[in-house]
Amino acid sequence: MIKLENINKTYFGAQPLHVLKGINLNVEEGELVSIMGASGSGKSTLLNIIGILDNYDEGNYYLAGKLVKNLSENQAAEFRNKLIGFIFQSFNLIPFKTALENVALPLFYQGVNRKKRNMMAMEYLERFGLKDWADHYPNELSGGQKQRVSIARALVTSPKLILADEPTGALDSKTSAEVMQILREVNATGITMVIVTHERGIANLTKKIVHLKDGIIESIEENDPDKMDFTKEIK
Amino acid sequence: MFNRDFWSEIFMALRRNKLRTVLTGFAISWGIFMLIILLSAGNGLKNGVTSNFADRIKNTYTIWSSSTELPYKGHKAGRFIMLTNKDIQLLESLYQVEEVSPTVSKGGTLIFGEKSRTIGLDGVKPIFKSIEGIKILEGRFINENDMKNKTKVVVIDVDSNDELLRTTGETTLIGKTVFINGLSFTVVGVCKAQMWGERGLAYAPYTTLQALYNENEYYQITFTTKGLNTKEENEAFAKELRKKIAALHEFSPEDKRGVWIDSEMVNSLETLRIFNTINIFIWVIGIAMLISGVVGVSNIMRITVKERTNEIGIRKALGAKPRSILLSIVMESLVITTIFGYIGMICGIGVTEVISSIMESSGGLGDGNGMSVFVDPTVDMSIVLMATLVLIVSGVAAGFAPAWNSVKVKPIEAMNYR
Repeated sequence: MIKLENINKTYFGAQPLHVLKGINLNVEEGELVSIMGASGSGKSTLLNIIGILDNYDEGNYYLAGKLVKNLSENQAAEFRNKLIGFIFQSFNLIPFKTALENVALPLFYQGVNRKKRNMMAMEYLERFGLKDWADHYPNELSGGQKQRVSIARALVTSPKLILADEPTGALDSKTSAEVMQILREVNATGITMVIVTHERGIANLTKKIVHLKDGIIESIEENDPDKMDFTKEIK
Repeated sequence: MFNRDFWSEIFMALRRNKLRTVLTGFAISWGIFMLIILLSAGNGLKNGVTSNFADRIKNTYTIWSSSTELPYKGHKAGRFIMLTNKDIQLLESLYQVEEVSPTVSKGGTLIFGEKSRTIGLDGVKPIFKSIEGIKILEGRFINENDMKNKTKVVVIDVDSNDELLRTTGETTLIGKTVFINGLSFTVVGVCKAQMWGERGLAYAPYTTLQALYNENEYYQITFTTKGLNTKEENEAFAKELRKKIAALHEFSPEDKRGVWIDSEMVNSLETLRIFNTINIFIWVIGIAMLISGVVGVSNIMRITVKERTNEIGIRKALGAKPRSILLSIVMESLVITTIFGYIGMICGIGVTEVISSIMESSGGLGDGNGMSVFVDPTVDMSIVLMATLVLIVSGVAAGFAPAWNSVKVKPIEAMNYR
């Protein structure tokens, strides 16, 4: 699903910052992978590159068998729209749109008509128990509800890959556990998932943990999340 | 692309900032409003002035007698040159000249019953009406029959008509006999008053006055020309003519005076040129005014785009293509400018139409001597279309720079923007 070959990325500012120093990584279809590392280790940058939200300087990145390099904005937008679903720490819901409209937005950019779009969005909201909240605006929802809306939004286009950047970062431990449970269930349907986190407890719920340090993959750890006890708090 | 969702997104964005949208739009409305008012005023002035000349034919010349300014061949300066039959023969010999109409001018007193009025009596040919643009209000002008039969008929101006009838309760002198310098004439027409002077006017057939007075000197000769279509041709002709007349009367061809030669075509071209200049001037002012509105819209779009940076980032992450972002911002700007532009335009046109109809019902704005200076101060369809074009161009221009900036920024930077 994802194949990274010697990915390098430097931020050119007043002080050039070499964030990724040759990343090689394979993620197979259906895998549940977490990327761990301290802040500044480059894990978010790596996720942004995988999500084609940012570009890289050197190396090759293949997504679903296609080389993602020097794409035009149009091509990148199409890739993101069709293949990738995003879940963000700060939810990134559009504040003046209702939960339903937020979930339906990616379909709008696919050119799906309003009726069908709202129907599909409603289906996903229902799946995450948010049917009654469909007409509410993000500021009327709790953190957990917001994150469930954004998960619904990520899934509504039936992407092959879900990228989650600290999905539980803004949630309390109980809600975090619920959200992780949902993400695991989504992964169980065969959707590849990459989660960036700095919490060991979250990483422990994934099957493969990539440890990133100073822009280099330090180690890749195989993990069996089923050994974990979900009744315990994960933080 | 431009479906219901697209438009609802744009109108939602505008509704979210109602006050801001209205304040921004006001600048545009005001700009267009003033442009329309100014253009209408310009049009009114132009219509007013040209309406005074509208009935004149353009290919005409008038020559007036005058005093010389330069001494020449033993003649002193300041000699008064009267036009004579030789001048008429000279003009008739020129191939550019079509019809010559000398004017026999006599001062005199017009008497009807007990009333009298000082007038200028001019013996003219029928063509004189078109040359001078004389407006007949009632009856008719001198015609060829009058010329042939040397009838004693006269056309008088409306002021004299009203003056002589003041206490009689009648309204028109047509058909009545009046006395001019002791000779009886039948009034056949009433024309609009002259635009200057207090003196009354009376036009009689040229041949009649020639028979009565046997005049062979003239203050004024008018004639029509053919084949002189441009300013250059007319100026060359006038120069040549001046040379010939100067030779005839023995004054210096360099003399700017001696006789006045006046081309109606050159005059009207000059007048039109002045109004074209005024028109350009108005457009420049109007557009400059509009630019301040456009800068306002552009500024607001900048702020809007800044505020929406996060949202735009999210949209990009969700698969919005640059074109859709660009279009939505440009269209938002376009919608503000055109909607408020049209509000301004409609208000402007409304105001000018109201003024125009008030003026029409009150008989127009004149200088009190029958000369209109302001007629139909409205704009026509072509200006509305032009203004629409200006609005669209300015709307796109106002929105494009901010839109382009927001398209260029990377989605991740936009999302992380605080």
